[in-house]
Formats: sequence, C-alpha cells, structure tokens
Amino acid sequence: MIAASSTALPLETVEPIAAVAAEDWLFVLDNYEYLLAGAVITVALTATSIVLGLLLGFPAGAIELYGGRFSSGVVRKAGVAIRGTPILVIMVFTFFVFPLEWLYVLPASEPFQAAVLALGVRSAAYQSQIFRGALRSIDPGQLEAAQSIGMSKREAIGYVLVPQALRRSVPGFQNEFTIVLKDTSIAFAIGLGELLRHSHDLMTQQTTAALELFVFASLIYFLLTISTNRTLDYVNDRYAIPGEG
Amino acid sequence: MTAQRTDERDNERRRAEHEPLLRIENVWKSFGTEQVFRGIDLEVDRGDVEVLVGPSGSGKSTLLRCVNRLTEIDEGAIYLDGERVTDADANVNELRQQVGMVFQDINLFAHLTARENVTLGLRRVRGFGKSEARDRADRELANVGLSDQVDSYPAQLSGGQKQRVGIARALAMDPKLMLFDEPTSALDPELSNSVLEVMERLVEAGMTMLVVTHEMRFARSAADSITFLEGGQVVERGPPERLFERPERERTREFLESIYG
Repeated sequence: MIAASSTALPLETVEPIAAVAAEDWLFVLDNYEYLLAGAVITVALTATSIVLGLLLGFPAGAIELYGGRFSSGVVRKAGVAIRGTPILVIMVFTFFVFPLEWLYVLPASEPFQAAVLALGVRSAAYQSQIFRGALRSIDPGQLEAAQSIGMSKREAIGYVLVPQALRRSVPGFQNEFTIVLKDTSIAFAIGLGELLRHSHDLMTQQTTAALELFVFASLIYFLLTISTNRTLDYVNDRYAIPGEG
Repeated sequence: MTAQRTDERDNERRRAEHEPLLRIENVWKSFGTEQVFRGIDLEVDRGDVEVLVGPSGSGKSTLLRCVNRLTEIDEGAIYLDGERVTDADANVNELRQQVGMVFQDINLFAHLTARENVTLGLRRVRGFGKSEARDRADRELANVGLSDQVDSYPAQLSGGQKQRVGIARALAMDPKLMLFDEPTSALDPELSNSVLEVMERLVEAGMTMLVVTHEMRFARSAADSITFLEGGQVVERGPPERLFERPERERTREFLESIYG
C-alpha cells in the first residue's frame, strides 16, 4: 500500500511494517478516549477493591491473631480457602453464582459489582496476612507495658499495637495494591469494560494494532503502579516513627 | 447487730493497720514441668524497699510479674493493701493501675513521644483531659530530669533517658507500689547512674518498692530488706547490713560474694 523503496537493499519487509505501525499508533491515539475510559474503570475497580480488602482484611488479621478459638479458626480457614482459589475462579463465581442483588449498596453494573467483590475479598485474604504479620512483629513487651498501666488487652491492642502495626503494613500493602491494580484486568473475563477489555475491543476493529494497543495499555498500567508506589513511599516516610529505620 | 458490725469494722481497720502493703502468701508456680516457686512468703510494708536477689532462673522477675498478674500464680495468694488480688474475679486492670512496673527492656511505646508515653495511660485509663494529662506528664518528666526531651521519640533517646521515661510513665498512674525488674541491666554502666538516682529519690519520697537488681550498691544503700531467692524458695531475708556482713546461710554468703566481688 505504501510506495516501495527504490533502493536495492531488501528493505521491503521493514518499511511496510514501520509504516503500518505508524498507522496503528494513529489508531491508538484516535481512540485514546475510549482507552482512558477503560483506565478510569480500572482505577475505580482498584480503589473500591482495595478499600473493601482493607475494611475486611485488617480486622480479619487482628481476629486471626487475637480472636477466640472459634472466630480465629473461621477467619483462618476462610483465608486459606480464598488464597487457594484462582482469582478467575472467584470472579466467575461472584458473577455467575453469587446473588449480587444482595448488594444493594453499589450503584454499579453487575460485572463491576462482581469484580469488586472478587478482588476485594481476595485482597482481604492477603491483607489480613500483611496486617497479622505486622502485629506479630511488634515486641510483646509493648502489650505488657500497656497492660501494666492498667489498660485492658483490647485497649492495649487498639492504642499501642495497631498504630505501630499499621505503619509496618505499608510496604506489604504497597505490593498488594500493585497486585490488585494489575489483577483488575481479570475482569475482562466477565465482560467488564476496563482498560484491557477496551484495548481488546479496539483490537477486534483493527487487528494489526494489537501490539500498539497492548503496549499502550501496559504503559497506563505502569504509570498507575508507579504513581501509587511513589505515593505509598511518601506515606511510609511521612508516618515513619522518628529515629527508627 | 449494730455493735457486732462496729466490731467487725474495728477489726477490719486494725487488720488494715497491721496489714503490710504487699503480702505474698505461700505462692506456688510452675511452667510446665519446671517448678519456679515452692511456697514463697514475703511481706513488704508501706514505704519499704525490698530488693530481690538470686541466681538467674530463680524466679525474681516472675515474682514481680505475679504481683501485677502479667503471670498468674498456681497456688497461694497475693494481697495488696489487704485485698486479695490473685482471685479470679479481682479486677486486674484496677490492680495494675495501683502497681507501677518498670521493665528490664524498658518497653516504651515506640510510636509515641516521651510525653505521649506518659499521657496515654492518664487519658485512656485515668480519664484525664488533654491539657490536664499534658501538665501531669510534663511534671513527671521534669521529675526524672527530662524536661528538654518531652517531644523526643524513644528511638531518639539514650537507654538511661528511655528508662527514666518508663519510670515517669509508671509514676503518673499514682501507684501504691512500684516494681522494678532489673531496670538498669540493659543499660551501659554510665547510663545506669541517672536511673539509679531517680530510684534513690523515689526511695527518699517514701515509695514502696519491690526491686530486682544486680546493683548491690543500690541494694545496700536503699533497701530496707533483701530477699535471697533460690530454688523457688526464700533462702534468706534480712536487712542489707546483716545479709552482707553476717549471712546465716552459707549459700547466701557465696552468692553475694560472687556478685559483689
């Protein structure tokens, strides 16, 4: 389609590809709004899932560590089951099996709800372990010192252990955030119009642009991970205990 | 009826007057197969300083921990101010407010400043208001010579400074009894002195203290009585002069010589 080069060198195979690539990049740029709309869904899905995971996961971690035999047993077993199940299986379950109409609270599409539920609950299972590990890493002397001034165990945990454990959870949480962000792409499978799905939609219109579309999508994922990581680095420094590491 | 009740109250008062502040009665304790205490008896009067000495593993620290129930006893009883505090239904948190504890590994709340370490208990346990707690904390910290460090975090303080914050934190709760569990063992010798000075001032102020320490100079000058523990029992107890100069038991002499040099 492009005029062949007059040189004798065997560039015919190179030049057309470069030209086609330029065309495909233009295709990407022409459709950037559609791709960014997908990115917005990706961000919304990440944020909602992380918050759900935090709200469920941190208390679960504390219950697993300090709860009674029954409650900690239930939480621990549920965690093992969820961590042992592939995210795609969880998501297919929440989409096709779980009665989503029970969740009146979310003013969002069914695929979105199913994806949040799957990613959030799965993240909770991991976040509980991050928080439990952080709580366990705190010197038991801290608990005893708090109890020795007359605090109940519950107060001691709340005022002394949790604030320190939260700080120590940031690095682990940083990893978890990145994982959830990237795993939002699994929602592709249940038809949610997130970034990967939108890239795929465009690819079906212009199959030659597959590479360009997915490079562009990767770039957006990369920018999102980098910026959240930097933000959490800042949070980590900002709330570090003065004089400590 | 009325007469009888008055009698009872009189008896109670008389008992209270003769009652030592701390009474440890036939306490037994084991960790698994290891018997830590085989019937410990000990009484500490108000304003007295009792120093516990003994070889490592003799249960000195465990005994302190039993007094504020960080460790539970198996048998026997402990009374604080006439009240049996080792009962299952005794209020542990209330007991611990009345008994200050200073730890060997200090255990300052790592995420709080020196001042906040002291105000936390005042606010959350004693219900002080913000400014009231702050004033009290600053006073306690001034008393241990740390007025200029109120805003420092534990990691920014030296060992001796940290331990003095630990003492201020305990004293802010207005305890009747202070437990010191080797308060200077984790410190460099030159840092120990600042802590010992604070303890000596507490002794002068009339605080009742139960102290586990290897600082024999402190024991000699400050203790009203020294208890030598070994094998889960009180081997010998007496005023420091007698214990150091004329111990009744050969084992006591050996032990004191070994640590005093």
